[in-house]
Amino acid sequence: MSFRRHPVAGTMALVVIGYLWIPILAVAVNSLNKSSLMARWGGATAHWYSLAFHDANVRTGLVTTLEIALGSTALSLVIAVSGSLWWRRAPARARAIYDALVYARIVLPEVVFATALFFLFLKAHFPLGIVAIIIGHSVWNSAYAAVIIQARLIGLDPAIEEAAADLGATPWRVFRRVTLAALLPAIIASGLLTFTFSFDDVVTSYFLGGSSSSPLPIVLFGMIRFRITPEINSIGVMVMLFTVTLMCAAVAVFALVGSTGRGRRGAFAEFYGR
Amino acid sequence: MTTPTARQTTVRLQGVEKRFGELVAVRSLDLDVTAGEFFSIIGPSGCGKTTTLRMIAGFERPTAGVIEITGRDVTALPPYRRPVNTVFQSYALFPHLDVVENVAFGLREARTPRAELRRRVMEAISLVQLDGRERAKPKQLSGGQQQRVALARALINRPDVLLLDEPLGALDLKLRKEMQTQLKDLQREVGITFVYVTHDQEEAFSMSDRVAVMDRGLLEQVGQPEEVYRQPATPFVADFVGIANRLSGRLRGSAPGDRYEIDIDGVGRRRAGGPPGLTSGDQVTVVIRPEDLHLEPAAAAPGAETPRAAVGTVLAAVVDVAFLGAHRTVRLSAGSLGHLVAVGRGQLAVAPEDKVTLSWADDDAWVVPAGPRS
Repeated sequence: MSFRRHPVAGTMALVVIGYLWIPILAVAVNSLNKSSLMARWGGATAHWYSLAFHDANVRTGLVTTLEIALGSTALSLVIAVSGSLWWRRAPARARAIYDALVYARIVLPEVVFATALFFLFLKAHFPLGIVAIIIGHSVWNSAYAAVIIQARLIGLDPAIEEAAADLGATPWRVFRRVTLAALLPAIIASGLLTFTFSFDDVVTSYFLGGSSSSPLPIVLFGMIRFRITPEINSIGVMVMLFTVTLMCAAVAVFALVGSTGRGRRGAFAEFYGR
Repeated sequence: MTTPTARQTTVRLQGVEKRFGELVAVRSLDLDVTAGEFFSIIGPSGCGKTTTLRMIAGFERPTAGVIEITGRDVTALPPYRRPVNTVFQSYALFPHLDVVENVAFGLREARTPRAELRRRVMEAISLVQLDGRERAKPKQLSGGQQQRVALARALINRPDVLLLDEPLGALDLKLRKEMQTQLKDLQREVGITFVYVTHDQEEAFSMSDRVAVMDRGLLEQVGQPEEVYRQPATPFVADFVGIANRLSGRLRGSAPGDRYEIDIDGVGRRRAGGPPGLTSGDQVTVVIRPEDLHLEPAAAAPGAETPRAAVGTVLAAVVDVAFLGAHRTVRLSAGSLGHLVAVGRGQLAVAPEDKVTLSWADDDAWVVPAGPRS
């Protein structure tokens, strides 16, 4: 589409792209800005990055975030893999119900699950904190993982497990050497994805974190409520780079080895969906 | 080539039955497969042939009966403890493993020492002519190549029995014919007992030492291909293994030379071979293969307006002639006898609407009991 021929659509596109990217660009530029007022360019510095590195709140926040992301990824993968294996051999009606439950977890607003779990944990006297957040994140993360793993599972010949048993493999060996091994690309891809989703989550973490556990996004949220310092910019840039790297790795794994066949219901599109 | 010295039984099924809820997939099946034999089970879809194979492999447990392999009762053993290997219809290759690792799978499970494993894998790969493709993943192979990987993977464990479930079903016709020859050669070379399941009787005939015909869970007949073709035990077998011209009649009695005398409706009294044990008065079907019907132009007898058939022959009108290269197929209409089919070589000079006389030798007619078997 040439800009000359479609000036209105072209302008609109530029405005939208600018609207999306200029703030991110501003953050990146200001993370290197010597001027702490961020109103004009005061020369380049790495000072804010070093400040962020030495900020105790940011450090504990980062550790908390990583713990939550790892825990939620592990839990989601266990749920998604075992669920998908059941789903593969389940009767059609049961599969439809299972699918509906998976998609509901993706489609329904996060804040609904967060509030519901908040009240549930309160009633059950389950302490808010890291474990609560891990469970909360796994609600939607396990659904994303399930969609990706199922897409891979559909491309697998159901006879391969029989073939392995026929060749002398015990049920446990069949699972390890064939089922799990064949699913590995999908498991890695969905693991990277769920890790990223968990890493930058605010809503669920905010509801279920209680007073003691503050993951990085919540720490940042707290910081800007008092004063916006260029330190936040540098943290933002680092988080962004980290997240983008993971996402690229996930997409690459999935695209290279993950999908045999065409995947189900545009699982690939859902990949970026959230 | 290894020939079994004694005719040992490799696979024995005794009173085997399989039910899936209400459905009886296989009923009271007795079957003996001899060592080193190429044995085929044929029948239409849903006849129980695949279920039978899956019971031998151990994927299905029989509802009743005993399965023995080389004299050992394996009825209760899981697949991984049976001395059999399977080539699956879909090949079921492991998508995440390359050719070498697919073929080596069974040896790794058996903890074969590395040097021996390497040697045997390379042997198996060159046995199925896949040299040069060792590091390819199944996705990168053609259908025929995948089929050969599946074969090598199953053969490398030197099973007592190799089970093949329509392994050529997914290949195109030309490749199929090629693979049939290769399979037969391979079986002779390795000397392993093959149990082969297919719905294609021609394929089974071309490769097998013996053939079992199944229908609706019942074993109809076991025998050498020629025997099954020329001396079918039931009307179903007669139809399933080739085109059969069927004439109905009533059995009159026995004749010398293991023959029966039959009054064929609309034809007259003729003699034909048949299974022992038929009794006079039985309603029977006489089966004549298309290539055994002789066609002659029907000439009107002197003084008569229209031609008439002599006793024991059939007068028919040609409906159409199909040219099939090596031979041609003539479809005929024979009044109350219905439609018949004859096959002849090129010299057969008939055209549609010609009147012809059909005759056949007693040797080429075979009697089966009419109607379903009790």
